[in-house]
Order: sequence, then structure tokens, then C-alpha cells
Amino acid sequence: MDYDLSSEQNILKESAHKLLAKECPSEFVREMAEDKTGYSEKLWKKMADLGWMSLLVPETYDGSGVNFLDLSILLSEFGYYCVPGPFFSTVVLGGLPILTAGSEAQKAELLPEIAAGKRKLTLAWLEQEEIYQPSGIQLTAEKTATGFTLDGTKLFVPDAHVADTIICVARTASEANGISLFIVDATLPGIQLTSLETMSGDKQYEVCFEKVAIPADRLLGELNGAWPVLEEIMLKAAVAKCAEMAGGADKVMELVIPYVKGRKQFGKPVGAFQAVQHHCANMLTFQDTNKFMLYQAAWRISEGLPFTAEAAMCKAWVNESHGKLVGLGHQIVGGLGFMEEYDLQLYFKRARTAAQMFGSSDDHREIVAREMGL
Amino acid sequence: MDFEFSVKEQDIIQDVREFLRSESTPELLEESHHLGHIYGGTEGRKFIKKFAANGWLVPDWPKEYGGLGSSAMLTFAIKEEMAMAAVPIIFVAAHMAGPTIMHFASDEMKEKWLLPIARGEVEFALGYTEPQAGSDLSSLEIHAADSGDHFIVNGGKSFNTHSHVADYHWLATITDPEAKRYQGMSMMIVDLKSPGIEIRPMITMAGWQTNEVFYNDVVVPKNHLVGEINQGFYYLMSALDFERMFPLAAYERIFNEIVSYTKDTSVAGQPLSKQPLIRQKLAQLKIELEANKLLFFRLAHIIDKGQIPNYQSSMQKLFATETAQHITQAGMEILGYHGLLKKGSRHAVLEGLIEQSYRTSIVETIYAGTSEVQRNIIALRGLKLPTK
Ligand SMILES: Cc1cc2nc3c(=O)[nH]c(=O)nc-3n(C[C@H](O)[C@H](O)[C@H](O)COP(=O)(O)OP(=O)(O)OC[C@H]3O[C@@H](n4cnc5c(N)ncnc54)[C@H](O)[C@@H]3O)c2cc1C
Repeated sequence: MDYDLSSEQNILKESAHKLLAKECPSEFVREMAEDKTGYSEKLWKKMADLGWMSLLVPETYDGSGVNFLDLSILLSEFGYYCVPGPFFSTVVLGGLPILTAGSEAQKAELLPEIAAGKRKLTLAWLEQEEIYQPSGIQLTAEKTATGFTLDGTKLFVPDAHVADTIICVARTASEANGISLFIVDATLPGIQLTSLETMSGDKQYEVCFEKVAIPADRLLGELNGAWPVLEEIMLKAAVAKCAEMAGGADKVMELVIPYVKGRKQFGKPVGAFQAVQHHCANMLTFQDTNKFMLYQAAWRISEGLPFTAEAAMCKAWVNESHGKLVGLGHQIVGGLGFMEEYDLQLYFKRARTAAQMFGSSDDHREIVAREMGL
Repeated sequence: MDFEFSVKEQDIIQDVREFLRSESTPELLEESHHLGHIYGGTEGRKFIKKFAANGWLVPDWPKEYGGLGSSAMLTFAIKEEMAMAAVPIIFVAAHMAGPTIMHFASDEMKEKWLLPIARGEVEFALGYTEPQAGSDLSSLEIHAADSGDHFIVNGGKSFNTHSHVADYHWLATITDPEAKRYQGMSMMIVDLKSPGIEIRPMITMAGWQTNEVFYNDVVVPKNHLVGEINQGFYYLMSALDFERMFPLAAYERIFNEIVSYTKDTSVAGQPLSKQPLIRQKLAQLKIELEANKLLFFRLAHIIDKGQIPNYQSSMQKLFATETAQHITQAGMEILGYHGLLKKGSRHAVLEGLIEQSYRTSIVETIYAGTSEVQRNIIALRGLKLPTK
């Protein structure tokens, strides 16, 4: 076993850390949370120039080779800096379905553009009944002479307002698993976006598809065969979210630990009080275990090993322990941490946001139970 | 990065597993259970001598000292296998004192002790705690007076667990009562059969024996002093760090038993394992076991890089022992009334394992440094928080 990053991975981490320190200070994060578009094209271009969008794209499609572990390392830095924008939606939520289910032609068309940062994508999956199960999919795709017609409403579609392409999950048959994926040009008539106001200012949309006609070659993967693809994507996206949380935890520790060493009450640093120290010890334990759970799952995905159990254990664990870590951070900083201008709030909101996405801890424990043969 | 054992490690682990399966006898397991899995009983010695002949007791020691010169990773993996097999797993000489001797003792002492330890021929008893010195080991009172070519030791120890089955005492004693805190303590290896030593049993609520050990003018030759005089506190801390690397497989075995029980037991027409709340509970424990596994093998990884684990041992000990208690608590919750039945009782399930381990697990968060002490260490050493 080896817990260390390789030297290339360290370089990736450090270069991301450096660039984002400059380009993504917390004022920028706050500004983007208010901003309608929610990201800067200038930063997007810089990230593309560094090849960040190409991390999951094979070399044959102008990518840098599929490496989920490297992507997780990069996403940890995104979590550290709360990087706003459509990176996750494009690379993870858009890229993975094409990579997993796409035909040769679809891959050749879309992956090089993703890798170059020239196309933004998103995934329209959840609906009113927000469950990661086939029964949650009511939006229909009716077969027509030339292709399909999409009808229905999606919720929690991230970054739909900037996406060039929406991967849409649709019901194509009445039997339970009759689910298919479609590559939808976001400019097609009949698509209507309504923005949702979110806790951390990430851009989420309701997307209504009203008789949206799409050509037959826009079916992604097998007709009625999308569910296994989606299950895999849900787990990978969950691990990718854990990467953001693990990185966020590093920043929280850097914020609050020096603070409790400096803040004095009753004539000594509050960090000298054992009640505070034990909170800190628990935080460090969460920080370390989160990281190892993440690395193990991401490593298994990268290596092409079975990863269902490890990914589910990772999300179930990191959801809760990252939440506790940030909560304890608030506790030991006291009133100051409750102030909007103190950065801790950014991490508090994003911890909860990430925990809500791609399966709750209960959902993932249920997957673990199944994997255990229960 | 890599989260699996190397092929070579896997092969040896397989051999160890095979050996543990084929060589452990009912008598061995009975004795091991009775002694609380400490090393030193008659059956245990018979078994471990054979086991150790393969170099498996201390695989990461150099060959000249009876090891295989292997990775710490392999050593840690073997410890988990032993804990899973319920053979003796708490070795003072091989796993706590031995590495400390290797780091700090003279060549002469290494020559004398390390090979017999590696072969499982001698066992030590941990001699730290005294009635007034529990968590605060700087407050020892037992005293060794310099008397030319030997020391004369007087005083008393409590909770010295292996003493009734071990050969030697790994004794922490004051050698300079005038010295500043931490600076007047030494470590010695004392023959437990020395005239003037008296051992009295203390029986625990787990049914196991630990001991009081009294010293009355006990003569200890000077060549039994470990390392430098008055440096004992630092050696003790080092040995404690090794003690804190806690294999959890004994509890993983209990967890596995609980899982089987839920599959085999039906209530209201369906197996317990199909009840959502039970599934959540068991999955959560599985996740904690996984997190512990990652903390445990991190220690081996650090050692294999030539570094000494620091706060990380405390973190693993803390995490493992709290997980142990979560497992036995969940066992009680799932077994209900049946959880209360002792081994041998009519209607007892899982051979009374939950009744027993529920009582036993209480001590895990107390000895080898309480959870509070581990959290202090994580905060002070790991995060460098101030003390004043
Ligand atoms: C079954 C058993 C076997 C043992 N085997 C051995 C052995 O082989 N050899 C040996 O030397 N010892 C042995 N011990 C002793 C064991 O290491 C001590 O019991 C342990 O270190 C705690 O000391 P104490 O019991 O005196 O508790 P105390 O130190 O009195 O602690 C009481 C409470 O105060 C808390 N506390 C103490 N100090 C602090 C602090 N600084 N900050 C916060 N909280 C604090 C503790 O966490 C605990 O909750 C054994 C004990 C048991 C029960």
C-alpha cells in the first residue's frame, strides 16, 4: 500500500493551488455567488489551457488520459477554494455519460471539445421526486419518425444557463428500467430555464422540455439501457463531490486552528482549553479519514477495479464527517464564525450542499448493505 | 498511490492464514480467550514458537534479529490475521518493548534480547501503572537505588497485566527522585522470578486477570537497564506509541458474527438483515471498520518510509477502540434479550460472544492511554495547540 501522491500528482496539486490562490480569492467566490452567470470566462480559459478539462478524456480524443484520481486531486483544490462555475457539470456530469455510453461518433464529436474547454455540458437527471431511482424519471421521450420528442420537467440541473449541451435522462418505456439518455442541444426550441435560488449560490435550474424534437442520432447509449450507466455515474459523481469536501476541510482547518491558537479568553488561548482541543482532535480525525476514504475510492476507480462499496462508504462517511468538521469549526471560533464576512460560512454552506448531492449517507449505507450481501 | 497489498505480501498473508487455521487447537483458543488474548500461557507459547519460527512474529525486524526484513505493512497485516484468528495477539516483548530496544538499547542488549523475543521464547509484562500514576505516568513512585553493579528496587505497580504469565517485567522506575519531571525515570528488564517480587491478582469485569506487582529490595543487574539512565520516560513513550497501533480484527470478527446472525434470524417473517434500520447500522459499522483500516495501514506506510508515527498512532487507537464499542453496542441492540445470555446458557446465541465482548470492550478506550489522553495528543502533537 502507498498513501502518497506521485510526484506528478503533487505538481498538479501545487500548480492548481497556486493558480487558484491568485484567481479565486474568497471575494471572487462571494461575487460569483451573487452574479447571474456565476463564473469567469477568463478563469475558465486558463483552466482549459492547463488541460484541467481533459483529465477524464482519453488521449485518442485529445484528452490527457482517463485518470479519476488526478481529477479528484484537482477537485480537492476546487473545494479548498470554493471554485465556482460549470467545471463539475461539464467534466464529471457531462463528460462521464459520453465517455461511458457514447458511440464512436459521439465521442469524437464531443470529447475533444470538452477537453479543450470549448463546450460546456450538464446533466438533467432529477425531477420533482428527487430520488436516484428509475421511478423518479417521469420526463418522456416519445419516438417519432425522425427521432424523439422530449416532454417534462427536470429539477436541480446545475449550470444549465451556460451549458451548450444538456444530457437528459428520459423515460422511453413504461417498464421500471425503461430509461434512456439523450444529448440535447441547449438552444433547441421548447427548452425553458428557470433559476433556483440556492443556499451557497451555486447555479441550479429547473429545465422544462416542451415538445423538444431531437434527431435520432442524439440517443446516448442503448435505448432503455441507461440505468446501469447512471448508477455508475452517480457513484463517481459522489466520489468527486467528496473530493471537493476533503479539500474544503483542509481550508477549514487552516482557517480555524490558527485562530484558536491566537484568540485569548480567561488569560489564555482558547486552543489551550481541553474542550476545544478535543473538538480539534475530532476535526483532524475527520480530515484524515475523509482523505483516505476519498483516495481509496478514487484510486480504485482509476485502476479499473470494482468500486461500488468503496465509493458508497466514501460518500456516506465524508458527508457526515465533513459536516461535523465544519460544524465543530463554527463551534470553536464562536460568534465571529457566524459572520458573513468570515470565510467559514462559505464552507458550511458548501458542505451541506455537497452532502445533499448524489445520495445521502442513508442512501449510500443502503448500497453498502447490499454490497455486504445483506 | 496503492490501496492493496503487494503480491508478495498477499502470498505471505495467505500462508499465515493457512497456518492459523490448521495449527490452532481448541485448547489454544480456550486459553487465549481465558487470558484475554495476552501472550504467555502454556498453549500460547507452544503455538507461537512454531508460528514465530517462520519469522512471522516480527516480520519487519532484520533477519539477524529473527525477522524477515519485510515491510511494516506485512507486519501489520499479520497482526490483523492473528487478531481475527483469536490466538494471542497482545505481545509486550515482541511488539512494544522489542522495537524500543531496537531503537534505543545498546548492541549488547540487542544481542541478548532480540532473538529470543523474535522466537517467542520470552514474554514481558508492561510495568508502568501505579495506584497514583495512571494517565500521568510522570508521577511514578517506585524507586531503583544505585548499588554499585546493580540497582535495588522498592515500590509497587498496579494493573500490570501479563505479570502472572510473563518471564520479565518491562519496568518503568524512578532512578533520580530529585530530577525534574520526565527526567528521573529509567526502563529496566526485571526477571519476574527475582526474590522480593510478589504478584497479586486483580480480576477485571471481563473475567481476565491483571496484577499488582510489589517490589521489596529486588536486585536488578545494571546490564538490565535499557538505554541511558534517566531517559526512561522517552523510551516509555516510544513503547506506548507501538502499543497504540491497534489491530481491530478481533472486533471485526464479532461484527462478522453479528452480520451472519441478522441473516439467519427471522423476526415477523423476515430476516433481521432486511430491516432498514439494521442495514443502516451494519453498513455504518462496515464504514467505520474501513476508515479504521485506512488509519491502521497508514501507520505501517509511515514506518516503511523510515518515519515514526506521531499523533497518527493516537488517532488510530482512538478510532479503533471507539469503533470496537460501537460494534458491541450494535450487537446488543440487535440481539436484544439474547445479547444478555452468557456462553453455555440455554438459548445463548453466538456462544455468548456479545455478552462477553460488550463487557470487555469497555476497557479498550481506557488502557494504553484513555480516549481523552489520545485526543490531547492529537491536539497537542498533531495540531500543535498550546497548553497555556
Ligand atoms: C484491564 C486493564 C489492563 C491494564 N494493563 C496494564 C498493563 O499491562 N500495564 C500497565 O502499566 N498499565 C495497565 N493498565 C493501566 C491503564 O493503562 C490505565 O488504567 C490507564 O492509563 C488510565 O489510568 P487510570 O486508570 O489511572 O485513570 P485516570 O488517569 O485516573 O483517569 C480517570 C479519567 O480522567 C481522565 N483524564 C486523566 N488525565 C487526563 C487529562 N490529562 N486530560 C483529560 N482527561 C484526563 C481519563 O481520561 C479518565 O477518563 C491496565 C488497565 C486495565 C483496566
